Amino acid sequence: MKLDFAYYPGCAAKQVQKEADRAARAVAQTLGITLRDMPRATCCGAVSLRETKPAFSLAVAARILSEAEEGGRHLVTICNTCLQTLSHANHRFQNEPDLLEKINHVLVQVGVRPYQATIQVFHLLWVITDQIDPQFLKSKVKKSLNGLRVAPFYGCHNLRPAEIFAAKAGEEADHLDRLILLLGGQPVAYDGHDKCCGFHVMLSDKTEMRAMLAKNCLNAKKAGAEVMITPCTLCDMSMGSFQGPAEKSIGQPIQLPEMNFAQLLAVAMGLEGSAGLNRLHVSPQATLTARGLL
Amino acid sequence: MTTHPYTLRIQRNRKGPDGRLTTMWQEFTVQATPTTTILTLLEEIKGEKDGTLTFRQSCRSAICGSCAMKIGGRTRLACKTHIGSVARQGVVEIAPQANQPVLKDLAIDIGPFFARIHQIRPFLEDGPDTDAVLEKSAYDQVNHVTQCILCGSCYSDCVMAEVSPEFIGPAALAKAFRFVSDPREGQKVRRLEALSLPHMMWTCARCAMCVESCPKDVKPMEAIVKLRTRGIAKGLDAGPGPKHALAFHQDIQEAGSLNEFTLMMRTVGLLGTLEELGTAFHLLKKGKVPSPIPHKSQGVAELAKIYEILEEHPLDVETKAKEVVPE
Repeated sequence: MKLDFAYYPGCAAKQVQKEADRAARAVAQTLGITLRDMPRATCCGAVSLRETKPAFSLAVAARILSEAEEGGRHLVTICNTCLQTLSHANHRFQNEPDLLEKINHVLVQVGVRPYQATIQVFHLLWVITDQIDPQFLKSKVKKSLNGLRVAPFYGCHNLRPAEIFAAKAGEEADHLDRLILLLGGQPVAYDGHDKCCGFHVMLSDKTEMRAMLAKNCLNAKKAGAEVMITPCTLCDMSMGSFQGPAEKSIGQPIQLPEMNFAQLLAVAMGLEGSAGLNRLHVSPQATLTARGLL
Repeated sequence: MTTHPYTLRIQRNRKGPDGRLTTMWQEFTVQATPTTTILTLLEEIKGEKDGTLTFRQSCRSAICGSCAMKIGGRTRLACKTHIGSVARQGVVEIAPQANQPVLKDLAIDIGPFFARIHQIRPFLEDGPDTDAVLEKSAYDQVNHVTQCILCGSCYSDCVMAEVSPEFIGPAALAKAFRFVSDPREGQKVRRLEALSLPHMMWTCARCAMCVESCPKDVKPMEAIVKLRTRGIAKGLDAGPGPKHALAFHQDIQEAGSLNEFTLMMRTVGLLGTLEELGTAFHLLKKGKVPSPIPHKSQGVAELAKIYEILEEHPLDVETKAKEVVPE
């Protein structure tokens, strides 16, 4: 398969989590994956637009998918919620031709190219672990993780509902674990790896959100994790940047360095200049230095 | 079919004289084919190895919901789960349902779960919202959720219930949707008002765990999404949940991307924002405060037009239950 994709980083990667975007681009370039910007693409609407305006949310998704399709490329993202939102819409378009026709009828009235439902939606992590030869990836690893104990935090929206995704999802998913092994690290098994980071109730139920992320991080730490990685910019925001507020909320320190998978991958590939580690709230500096990675 | 040795690592829970629960793990090794159900194996252990092992079971046909328990980390019906599909290296861990009080071994007190079902008033009520005519399509939505057998699997796996005993939970919300969407129901709006209160429909974190856990494909989270749509359509948008959701379509329609800078103000208001100033400073330390002027995508005017068209000519895009035809 040609590794040439329409790149949809998502709103968080364009602003607060831009380190994930920078690392993803650097890693992709070194691995020969072309990521093409989508100048017309808007916010996918996340979980909210489906609730307030269900038809509008499908039209928004169709317009984004159509832009990728027009260029003859599949779409790739680094945000779990964008992945789920666009995969959900795409799954419906591919299985409900009447629905697609209704939405396209609206698109053409405003001059937007109708979507033909021919493309797939991927996570960049899936592309790296499923479409790249593991030996080739290994050859690009300049510094092995050297047994670093890494907690994989998958997050909800690249696992569930399993039926809508283009890669192994649900309980079958093992892509983060495989990546950690390929980089010479040791994946840590813990209760919480497939649970929720709380991002979507960050503002509405803040105590619950903080309890959720604290529980996941503390379980990972108890299981021996030295760092945690996620495939999602929203999980990064919760599990990383909100660890401090969560510590205050539960009255207990957590202190588990957390980063996007692309950042750790960048470090292992010797691209630490693009890893953006200085933007992390809980610094992995000491841990990574101790393993000879920095 | 050939048999293999499997190890069932079973959580044993006993209440002492002081009423406190002691938990230990006990392993039993059994010979079984990969398609043997967990329930058959639990009965074998109870019958031949340890008669004190306690668990619930009844119909053996995935209808009664009695035998829901944690099997390999996820709540499943023991009568429906094959050992071969859940064992890892020949071992599977079995524990009682989570988020509910344990009575003994694998048996839990289902009372608090049923109290939540009762809380949403699970019966049709008279009132002003009863539809005058029943269309053929009237049960398109109702039939989505009537498959629920009240086994508690979704509640046991719910990540919000894990941290919030106040949360009403996915099963009760799916049941509530069954009444809100029933053409005969007379109190649809009153129900939506009650569901808009704290710890009800807006507290779901949208993780979709319940969609995966449900043994009957009820998809509780999809019902919660539809409840929220109906609540907003009735103007029930006072809480932070609906305010947050509404901010999205305003932004996408106007600029194409989220204005994360003002999102907080619009969700929790000025007082809520002031309360969270400490958090804002914490985020600011690493430059994690969004720009007040978000990026504008090309052709974004198209979205405002699409929005207008859909407001003038609304499209029904909701998923529908498959038609149930008597055999």
